[in-house]
Amino acid sequence: MPGGTEEKEFKSIAEEIMGKIRRSLEDPAGYMRRRKSERRQKVVGWLLTDIPEELIHAAGALPFGITGGREEHSRSDAHLQNWACSMARSCLDMGLQGKLSFLDGLLIPHICDTTRNLGGIWRHARPLAMMENYLLPRQTRPSAKTYLVGELGRLKARLERCTGSEITAGKLSESISLYNWNRRLLRKLFGLHGEKPGLLSNRAIYDIIKSSLFIPKEEHNELLQELIDHLTGETAGDGRNTGHVRLALSGKVCDPPEIMDALDACGAVVVADDLATGQRYISAEAPETGDPIEALAQRQLSRIPCACFDTGETDRRRFLTDLIKASGAAGLIFLHLKYCEPENFDYPDMRAAVEAAGIPCLRLETDIGGVSQGQLETRLQAFVEMIKGGTDVDRPAAL
Amino acid sequence: MTDRPPFKTAGLLKKLMSDYYAGGNRAREKGIPLVWVTAVFPVEIVYAAGLFPYYPENFGALAAARKLAHVLSVRAEARGYSFDLCGYARCGIGDSCAGEHPAGEIERPDMVFCCNTQCGSLPKWFQSAARFYGVPYFLLDSPMIEGASTTLGRDYFVAQLKEMIDFIEISTGRAFDFGRLAEVMALSTETCRLWNEILDTAALRPAPFGFFDACFHMAPIVTMRGTREAVWYYRELKKELESRMAGKIHAVPGERHKIYWDHIPVWPKLRWFSEYFSGRGALVAASQYTHSWTYSFDTSRPLESLAENYTGAYINRSFEQRVQMKINFINRYGLDGFVLFSNRSCKPNSFGLYDKQKVISRRTGLPGVVIEGDMSDLRFFSEEQVKQRLDVFIEQLEKGGETQDKKQGGGIVWK
Ligand code: SF4
Ligand code: SF4
Repeated sequence: MPGGTEEKEFKSIAEEIMGKIRRSLEDPAGYMRRRKSERRQKVVGWLLTDIPEELIHAAGALPFGITGGREEHSRSDAHLQNWACSMARSCLDMGLQGKLSFLDGLLIPHICDTTRNLGGIWRHARPLAMMENYLLPRQTRPSAKTYLVGELGRLKARLERCTGSEITAGKLSESISLYNWNRRLLRKLFGLHGEKPGLLSNRAIYDIIKSSLFIPKEEHNELLQELIDHLTGETAGDGRNTGHVRLALSGKVCDPPEIMDALDACGAVVVADDLATGQRYISAEAPETGDPIEALAQRQLSRIPCACFDTGETDRRRFLTDLIKASGAAGLIFLHLKYCEPENFDYPDMRAAVEAAGIPCLRLETDIGGVSQGQLETRLQAFVEMIKGGTDVDRPAAL
Repeated sequence: MTDRPPFKTAGLLKKLMSDYYAGGNRAREKGIPLVWVTAVFPVEIVYAAGLFPYYPENFGALAAARKLAHVLSVRAEARGYSFDLCGYARCGIGDSCAGEHPAGEIERPDMVFCCNTQCGSLPKWFQSAARFYGVPYFLLDSPMIEGASTTLGRDYFVAQLKEMIDFIEISTGRAFDFGRLAEVMALSTETCRLWNEILDTAALRPAPFGFFDACFHMAPIVTMRGTREAVWYYRELKKELESRMAGKIHAVPGERHKIYWDHIPVWPKLRWFSEYFSGRGALVAASQYTHSWTYSFDTSRPLESLAENYTGAYINRSFEQRVQMKINFINRYGLDGFVLFSNRSCKPNSFGLYDKQKVISRRTGLPGVVIEGDMSDLRFFSEEQVKQRLDVFIEQLEKGGETQDKKQGGGIVWK
């Protein structure tokens, strides 16, 4: 056990790092605007999910993963029906407010019918210097690879024109290594969070991942390394006998982030997920050998399943039940953004498969930029209590 | 559709379609695979392979037109499917999993083929159906075309067509017959040509045919293009239109205005809309929807030509191109205004309409309106609200004067 002074030191350093991360998350657009002028670099924004940020980085620009704002998004009413998901509405709203006018470019992946139309609307309502749809393949047969290599080449050329700087194979390989390193550190932290609940709250680990979508990777890696150095010595909250209920999440994002606070408050620890701001982001390393564009294509086609793609043989239901079992989670929470069509289509079969495997499920429909917090908390609490009462808490992972 | 003799071909259509559905049963008896396909799908390959294509979207539209969409939807909802999903999908899923079939039974597939040119809903629906029925699923992925179509996109689609043909050869145990494909593609081109000639009669002032007629007569162009029967049917319809023109039987008696409609009709309210407009002397003359089937194939390079035609569908294009396509209809048909239907079921067609209305009005100087509702589910349709908006629109049309003295149909020649 660490002594009093050591503990204090640990706390203060870790808190300092978390403080930095939290402050950046209060207003990511403001943060990026400042970084742009400090670093004299261009900034290229991107919307979820699967944008190959390495290309943006290798073009000498700062990638900015935009995940919506915290305010109401009523400005988007005039452009996008209120039965569009709040992710699209909120991001567009930030654009309409002028909060993103500092961007030198914006990349939107065509992953659903909302993102299919969003770029056109945005370009019309409030154009940016460069706005590009990333037309990634939605299937994974051999034909997809050849096409994707071509599409990545197109994107590369667009980014080069935007920044005026050539993306050489060397630079791209370096960016890939840097990003892989970040993902490895994030996975390490995620592992620590699961092994030693309490060391890093749910809120903290997901805040850290979210901040990695925009804090420059060089700096983010340093923050993470420092945090890991301080946490690995720690034995606080050791082991699996802490009374925590282990849970898995499925969906796109965990927003509003207060959901994580609520989970922390009722003694749950999230040990696995398939979120775009979770495992989908941190598990996706690109090979560091061979042609770097091919490596990015390879990575894209071997990502974990999600609702927006046909992953052929890799059935998302099986993936999810396996994930839950491997992580020793005792329950699953679906976090679905209201009006998200791909998730709405997957949900019934996924739930049926997970429940058939004997795992209790809860579904929360969320909205970016606002929910009635109290109601969410009550439902989360009831779910966690139900698991505590009914199942073996902290059942060891069936690894 | 009021105050005028019904189409004689309506009887032929009924027979044709019941033969088509009977063909599905025959195929099953003979062990010929019945495959689900989407409306904008290179069905020519399916016909050429001797498989039986079935259109679940058509099932959805029929159920909706019979005012049964909410009945079926509720069953899908009971299984956890949200009522925010596309209405066709809710009808299909609701019928698949129920014991009773008030709208007739959706066909059980042996294989499920899907093309995502139209939307992202179809792949999700079809995939869930493939899981439900435990049959193979094959997706043709069609990247958006934002300017001119690219070699990259075309080659990708062609590569997938080859993968699909390979998949079919393995499933049927027969080599694919490219000679037969050329025949089917030629028949399909001919069907599309006739269909478009028929649609173009709506440009005449007054016109013998309009959008609501097209909604009625479109089943064969969707399901049977590539067959001799479809060619025969549209020849018959064209002949009948000629005689109706000679007999001065018009779609809207006393036609004074022509308007554009985007995109799918409100199926359970087809008659209501038709009567609303004709009662005000307005003919809905064109819609991107009924003009979806305008393929023209080059049989000397079959796969490339299929790829160009099927990936190039309007819905798979950029905001700007889609605006321009609507304006082209307005000019070609000499229209006086436009109605854009913000259809809760159909996100790919509806998102962007608010801005498009403004752009089109600005560029053409014509009145336009956006109405809210759902193409199939009356729970999301308020007659009162829609009527209010349309009334304002009609007033604007009236202010714009009687028929603007345009050249007949801005240059369409009726052959
Ligand atoms: S949340 Fe769902 S509907 Fe919205 S952009 Fe993402 S995938 Fe599309
Ligand atoms: S109505 Fe729209 S969403 Fe539904 S299947 Fe047709 S194109 Fe897709």
